[in-house]
Parts: sequence; structure tokens; C-alpha cells
Amino acid sequence: MRMKPIRVLIAKPGLDGHDRGALIIAQALRDHGMEVIYTGLRQSAIQIARAAIQEDVDVVGLSSLSGAHKSLFPKVVKALEEQGASDIPVIGGGVIPAEDIPFLEEQGVKKIFTSGSPTDATAIYIKQLIHKRTINAPKKIAHIGIAVESIDTALPFYQHTLGLEVEAVEKVESEQVRVAFLKIGETMFELLEPLSDDSPIQTFLTRKGEGVHHIAVEVEDIEKRLQQYKEQGIRLIHEQPKQGAHDSQIAFLHPKAANGVLFELCQQGEGE
Amino acid sequence: MNTSSSEHHPKQKWEKDVKKTTERFPERKETFHTSSDITINRLYTPKQMDGEYIEEIGFPGQYPYTRGIQPTMYRSRYWTMRQYAGFGSAEETNERFRYLLKQGQTGLSVAFDLPTQIGYDSDDPMADGEVGKVGVAIDSLKDMEQLFDQIPLDQVSTSMTINAPASILLAMYIAVGEKQGVDPEKLTGTIQNDILKEYIARGTYIYPPKPSMRLITDIFGYCQEYLPKFNTISISGYHIREAGSTAVQEVAFTIANGMAYVDAAIEAGLEVDDFAPRLAFFFNAHNQFFEEAAKFRAARRMWAKIMKEHYGAQNPKSWKLRFHTQTGGSTLTAQQPDNNIVRVTLQALSAVMGGTQSLHTNSRDEALALPTEDSARIALRTQQIIANESGVADTIDPLAGSYYVESLTDQIENEANAYLERIKEFGGAVQAVEEGYMQREIHQAAYDAQKRIESKEDIVVGMNEFKLEEEIHADLLRVDEALEQAQIEKTQQLRAERNQAAVDQCLLKLKEAAGGTANVMPYIVEAVKAYATVGEIANVLRGEFGEYSGM
Repeated sequence: MRMKPIRVLIAKPGLDGHDRGALIIAQALRDHGMEVIYTGLRQSAIQIARAAIQEDVDVVGLSSLSGAHKSLFPKVVKALEEQGASDIPVIGGGVIPAEDIPFLEEQGVKKIFTSGSPTDATAIYIKQLIHKRTINAPKKIAHIGIAVESIDTALPFYQHTLGLEVEAVEKVESEQVRVAFLKIGETMFELLEPLSDDSPIQTFLTRKGEGVHHIAVEVEDIEKRLQQYKEQGIRLIHEQPKQGAHDSQIAFLHPKAANGVLFELCQQGEGE
Repeated sequence: MNTSSSEHHPKQKWEKDVKKTTERFPERKETFHTSSDITINRLYTPKQMDGEYIEEIGFPGQYPYTRGIQPTMYRSRYWTMRQYAGFGSAEETNERFRYLLKQGQTGLSVAFDLPTQIGYDSDDPMADGEVGKVGVAIDSLKDMEQLFDQIPLDQVSTSMTINAPASILLAMYIAVGEKQGVDPEKLTGTIQNDILKEYIARGTYIYPPKPSMRLITDIFGYCQEYLPKFNTISISGYHIREAGSTAVQEVAFTIANGMAYVDAAIEAGLEVDDFAPRLAFFFNAHNQFFEEAAKFRAARRMWAKIMKEHYGAQNPKSWKLRFHTQTGGSTLTAQQPDNNIVRVTLQALSAVMGGTQSLHTNSRDEALALPTEDSARIALRTQQIIANESGVADTIDPLAGSYYVESLTDQIENEANAYLERIKEFGGAVQAVEEGYMQREIHQAAYDAQKRIESKEDIVVGMNEFKLEEEIHADLLRVDEALEQAQIEKTQQLRAERNQAAVDQCLLKLKEAAGGTANVMPYIVEAVKAYATVGEIANVLRGEFGEYSGM
């Protein structure tokens, strides 16, 4: 984790004098532990770029309510480029019609928060944006979990139709589930069969029927990720890693965090 | 004249006033009835009128004006329906004005673009990207002539949202009037001209507070002589509220600013009763219906007491707080914009219950962009429905006597007075503004409100509750990006064609006046008539006064 707090420059380009939003976002970001510098009103693109460099900020947030965003925001992006600071991302907010967002993003603005966006969303986004560099991308899909009524009935398709080999069949009493692993290339299918009505897999089957249940991605930094997700307000099912099969550590994210897909983080044990 | 008022019972005095008023402005109907044919009285009062009722609530048109400033209020005339409009070029805005007048609007209200409001011409580098965006771009008298083309200035009243360069735009209005053959003394309308709230909340300041206050008192002095029917200032709580203040803060800070203007004018040698009758106010109508209605009533009572007791004004016109209201722009949501029509209706109703003199209802799409013609019409229709269909205007101050509303009125007055005390300790509003006191108070209230919304302690329908998945916003008004270039060319052509020597001479004379103590208004009027631009005039004053650079 970075030790020093994220530094943000909140700026009002152009002539618009309404800075209620800018002041609120500045304070909300401070409440999230960031260091925020507010430029005050009527800043030119060049003034903003210079301030961003002098203050050594991680991100620039622009606010405009006058309708001049299409001309002003890209100018700030350009001024940063010209000053050799194109690595400082620019985000924006204010009275900005959704139709203008693609244009602004094309012009290099990273993200637009329209009116009504909660301040937390902006804070979380900035944390993700800045911390992204400190997280390593997952190496591969560890396995794809598929919920089935009965492993015995489902296996012939995987064994004979697809021609895969069964790696192992285990019971996980704590989850009231029986699992079968089938290796495919560098990853695996995991068939999940409920052992009782209390099993989470039974709940899934009752609600949705058989089908893909979750995707597990293999990571090397499970604790750090969970810590960071927690700070960013990402919804989690497990806030701490728990013991998985073969000495692995696992944790599930909430499907609401990922467009309805249930993701599992999976870190292999030291021995393997 | 006011000694005679104590000789009669206030009720008899009011009845006499009603008689006098109705002779000049007959009531809308001979008699008013409900749907069930129940007669609606002009006024309802407690059965027993004790001293406290007379002193604190009283009668409409009577000190302390808690129940309204006119003896018959909306029984004679509805409030003025005045929609703020302006975008793009002078020609386009002129078209929208004439459309609104044809739709039954009764007064004009001009929105200027930001470069105009901050004293930059359209071709100034600072104006880049802002020309014609939030209002109409006015660079020279030529633009102003087009803005009021075919609109006779002796028949409309015009409100102009202009502050730091108010003297320049007022001078242009006078010049357009003269070209139409209308004497300045016949001109009616309002300039906002309230610089203190610009430092506090709205941000379109140019000069530091002291010379800004001098420009304002120069306008007071000039108008007293030449434009006796023009409202020289609109002391505005609206933007203070939009910046996130509470209702109490809105009243307190607005009245504190009002007192600062009165102090400045008295210090400049003006007599309170000569300028105070032309002071107007501008408030916000926000969401909480009863609190808003009570706020207007409390503000009226506070101002009356301050003018009479603190400043010793003798003329009852100096005691009356006349105000314009606009519904709260920041209450509108970008989500499900049609819901905003309902919000605006409730807010507008609170302003009418509070006895407003004129009203602007916001358009449903203002959280997204400038209003389209359709949206602007619905906003105007909202007022027309309240006036013509709801019956709320048929009796005066119908909320009076409600235990709740009277108690709220008292408490708002008390808490606002506590703020006035604190501001007095700073040495008045100018000092409090310079030290950022009001700004900090407002920011804290705004942040608290935002947190309540995010924690869903406060529900905003369609935004943090009762949401819809996807929303597509069709038909937003877009200002043509080509307009900026056209406006720049127009102004550059004007500079090429005008008599430059005459302009230079006018600007030189203005510079001398600004450097001394003379009233600058006559010099500004001469300069605009020679087609000096807003930017040129403002720059001369920048040279003399300096620029304010924020906190």
C-alpha cells in the first residue's frame, strides 16, 4: 500500500462561480483521507496544469456548471500534456449532459460524475484509479464453478462428451457441498452439488436452476486486495480470506459488485 | 403621516387603505366564492385581537407587514410572473422574450452570459468557451438594442441579473430607452446589483468590496435623480440558499447584506427615505413548504423593524420588504426530470403563501441544461395554474394563525436575529464576508445536507430512492458552438466602425471620475452611448479599483 495520502487538485475552470459542488467534493475527499487543494474560481487551463504539477497531485478534478465543459475540460488535459504531466489523470463533474460524456472521454477526461452522483463514488473511483498500479492483475482463471443437482448425473457430459479427466472429488462439510474438479488447460471446471437444503448451492439451484455459479480468479495478493476493496467500498461476502481446498485461501466478492457475477479470489498455498 | 396611524385602530386603518387601493386597482372579482358558494373574505383574523397580534402579525399593508405589503394582495393583482431567460445571441434571446410575453408573461428577466457578468468582452481570452452559455452575450449597446428590439421599454418591467457591471448594463438600458423615445424616469425594472452575495456565494465579482460598494451607492444616487421607478438593487438570498445555506441563514445573511448597503448609502450622504423605497429583495423557494412560507413572513417583519427602529426611516415605503422569488434550482434532479415540475409547483405555492411580489418558476430540465421552449412554457403554466385554478390567491395570507406557521415565523426571526448579532460583532456584513464567516457557515450546512442525502436520512425522490434504471434525455437545449465566433466577429466589426476618438475620450473621462469621488454613472452612460464595450469600461474601472481575487 502507498504510505502517503492521495493528493487531489479540485479546480474550477472558466468563469462559473458556483462552487458548492467543488467545495463539497473537496471536503468529502478529505474525509476519505486524501489531501485536497482547491484552486478557487476562474482558473485557466494553464493555471490548473501548473498548480497540479507544483502541488504534485495524483489526480485533477474539474467542476463546471456553466455548460462550457466541452471546451474547457479538454484544454486542461492538453495543458497537462504540454507541461509533460499527461500521467496526471483528469476527472470532472457538474452540470454535464450524459450525451457529452463520450466526447469528453475521447478528449482524455478519465471519468465524468454527473449531478446526483454520491461523493463516495468519486472518492472510491479516485482510490481505484490511483491504487490500480499497486495491484497485480490476476494470473488466470483458477476455475469456473458450475452448480449441478447431482455430480453423478452431470459427469458423463464432461467426461465423455467433452473428454475431460476428473482430477478429484471432495466433500466440503463446512459449505455442505460436494465438488468435482475437471482439468482443462491451465484451469478447471468445478462441479458443485449440494449436500443438504442448508447448502448455499441448494439456494442457488432453487432460485436459478443449474448453471454457472461463480468464476474464481487466481491472485497472489488476496489480503491486500480485500483490504483495498474494503476501503473502496466494494461489496464483499468475505472480508477476510478463508481456508479453501488444498491449503488455498479464498474469498467471495458480492455479485452486486460485479454486474451479477459471483467472483471468487483464490490464492494457492505456499507448497504448490 | 405615521403618527396618524396610531390614532386609529389598525383594522380601521387597513380598511381605509383597502378602499383607497381598490379605487385604483379594483379587485379581480366583485366577490370571491368557493366551489360550494361559500363567500371568501378578504382577510381572516383571530376573534380576539390582542396587542401581540397587532404588533407582530397585524394587517396586510400595515407595519410590520407580516401578512403582506399590500392591503389587498392578490385579490387585486396576482404576483408578476417573471421567467428568467437568456442564452446565446441577443437576437435569439429577443425571440424568446417575445414568445414569453405572447404567452402571458408579465415582466422580463434577463440572464447574461458569464463574460458579460464579469466584465469581459466576447473576444477576451478569459471568455473562451463561455460566450452565450448561461445567458445572453452583451458586449456593446448594439447587442442591447437587438435584445430589446420591438419591446417597448415603457410597457415592460425588466429585471437584469447583473452585479459587478450593473452600472454598465443599466446605462445601456437607459440608452436603449432613449433610442425608443422613452424617458429614463418612465423605466421600470430591477438590477440585481448585489455584490456582497457574489463574494459569499455566486462568484461573479470583479472589484474589491470597497470600490464595489461605491459603485452601488453611485447607482443609488443616480437613480434617485433620474430613474425614480427603477429598483436599484435586488438583495439576494437566492444564491446564498443555492450555495447550501439553511432557510434561517438565507434570511439572516440577506438582511445583513441589506443593512450593509443601507449603511454605505447613508455614509455616502444619501437620506434613508430617498433610496430605501427602491431596495428590493430576492429569495429562494425551497422544499420545505411551511418553513419557506414562514421564512418570507419573518423576513418581511424583520426588515420592517430594522428600517423603522434601527435606521429611523419615516416613509412606510422604506419599511416594506418587496421581493422576487425563484424556486430552488439546486433542488432539481437530473434523474426523472419530469418530477421537477411537481417540486417547482410546491415551491412556487410556498412563495405565493409567503406573499411574493414576483415569481420565477424553474424549468424541469434545469439540472441538465438550459430550459427548452417547452419546459419554459410548462414552468410558466405552473404559475398560471396556481393563480387561476387553485383559489389560493383569493384571500390574503391564508396560513396566518396556523400555530405551526406562526411559531416557525417567530423562530426563524429569532435565529436570524442571533446571526445578525454575530455579524455585528464582526463589524458588519462587509467585514464578515472578507473574513469568510458566511462562506464557512454556508459550506458547513451544504456539506451536512449532502451527507444526509448520501446516508438516505433525507430522501430525494428519483435520486437516492425510487430510482429508475436507465434514463435518456431527449431534447436538451444546446447553445450553438458557432455562436461564440459570430459574436466575436460582431464585436470586432463594431470596434472597427465606431468613432474611436469619441470612445477614447469617454473612457478617459470615466477614468478620472473613478479615480476621484464623482458619481461615475453619468460617465458610464456617455461611454455606452459612444459604443464603448462592457469589457472596455470594466477594464478602465479595473485599472482604478483593482481586482478581487477570492478568499
